Amino acid sequence: MHELSLAQALIDQVKLLLKEHNANKVLRISVEIGPFSGIVIDSFEFGYYALIKEEPSFIDSKLEIITPPALYQCVFCGRKFKEDELTKDKRCPFCKDSFLTPVGDGDILLKEVEME
Amino acid sequence: MCEWCGCGQPEEHHGHSHDHNHSKIIELNKSILEENNKIALKNKEHIEALGAVGINFISSPGSGKTTLLQETIKRLKPRTKIGVIEGDIETQRDAQRIREQKVPVVQLTTGGACHLDARLVHKGIHQLEHELDDNNLNFLFIENVGNLVCPASFYLGEHKRVVLVSVPEGSDKPAKYPKAFIDADLFIISKIDLLDYFDFSIDEAKKEALKLNPKLDIICLSSVTGKGMDEWINYLLNLIKKE
Ligand SMILES: Nc1nc2c(ncn2[C@@H]2O[C@H](COP(=O)(O)OP(=O)(O)OP(=O)(O)O)[C@@H](O)[C@H]2O)c(=O)[nH]1
Ligand SMILES: [Mg+2]
Ligand SMILES: [Zn+2]
Repeated sequence: MHELSLAQALIDQVKLLLKEHNANKVLRISVEIGPFSGIVIDSFEFGYYALIKEEPSFIDSKLEIITPPALYQCVFCGRKFKEDELTKDKRCPFCKDSFLTPVGDGDILLKEVEME
Repeated sequence: MCEWCGCGQPEEHHGHSHDHNHSKIIELNKSILEENNKIALKNKEHIEALGAVGINFISSPGSGKTTLLQETIKRLKPRTKIGVIEGDIETQRDAQRIREQKVPVVQLTTGGACHLDARLVHKGIHQLEHELDDNNLNFLFIENVGNLVCPASFYLGEHKRVVLVSVPEGSDKPAKYPKAFIDADLFIISKIDLLDYFDFSIDEAKKEALKLNPKLDIICLSSVTGKGMDEWINYLLNLIKKE
C-alpha cells in the first residue's frame, strides 16, 4: 500500500502550493499516473479521500486522474505502438516480432491544481 | 541543520498560474516523488562521501535477501568494509542476523509501511555512521522491505538496484511485476538449488525481464550451494575497482 504514502506526499505538496499562492481551499487536483508506475489507482484515490478527511482545506476537493496509455517499442523494427495495437499473441503489429520493451512513464505527476 | 538533507531550506515551486473567476489554476508538471528523489540524491552524495557504493535489494518476502547478504559478507568481509541498512515493517530479526557477523548494521522499522523511502534511509545512514570506527566503507547494502511492488517506486540514492526472484516464486514474476524490473540494474534468480523441484524456467524469466529492460544484468545463484556466488562477488568487486 505505497499508494497511501503517495497520496500523503501529494497532499503535502499541494499544501505548500496553497501557502505560496495565499489560497485556502483546494478545488481540484489533476494527477497523471504513468502506465508502468505499479500504482493501483483505486487505492490511490481511496487513500487520498481518506486522508483529506483530516484536512479542512481539501475537504471539497476533487481528484482527477489522467492515465496515458502504455506504449511499447519493438526492439527489431524500432516502431512504437499502443497496447491495443499488439497482435493477439502480443507481437509487434508491423514486423510480428515478440521482443517488445515498454516505453513511457513509471512516474506520478502533479499536473494542475485549482484553488481559491 | 544537516548538510545532506538540506532540511530547513525553502521549497521551490515552478509553475504558471492564471485566475479563473475566483479560483486560480496552477499548472505544474512535477513528480509527486520529487521530494523523495531530492533526498535520495543527497543520500547518494552521502554514500559517496563515505567512499561506498550503495546497493538496494528488492524482492518479495522470503526470496533470500538476508541469506544472500550473510553469504556475501562471509566472502567480502576479509577484504572490504561493509555497512548494512535493514528495512523491515516491525522486527529487528534481519539486523540481528547481520550483527552476528560483526558488521555495522542499522535496522529501520517502517511502522507498517511496505517500503523504505529516501527520508528513512537518510536517517539510517546517519545512524550507521555512529557504528563506524572511521567514516569509510566500500559497500552500503540496503535490504528493502519484502515486497516486489511498492519499494520499486522509491529511489533511495543507491548506485545499483538489485531485484531478486527465487525459484519457488515462478518465472512469470518479471512479466507480472514490471516496475521492479524496469528500474533495476541487476536481476538475481535465487535458490537455483531448488530448480529440480519447481517448474521455474530460467529462459522465460530472463527473456521477460530483458524485454522490460534490455540493459539488465542477470545472475543465477544459490546461497545454499554457493553456485553462482563467484559471479555475484565479482560483480560487486568490479563496482569498487578504481579505474
Ligand atoms: N533452498 C534455498 N533456500 C534459501 C536460499 N536462500 C535463502 N533460503 C531460505 O529462504 C528463507 C527466506 O530467506 P531470507 O534470506 O530470510 O529471505 P528475505 O528475502 O530476507 O526475507 P524477508 O526479509 O522476510 O523479505 C529462509 O528459510 C532461507 O534459509 C537458497 O539459495 N536456497
Ligand atoms: Mg530479510
Ligand atoms: Zn517490429
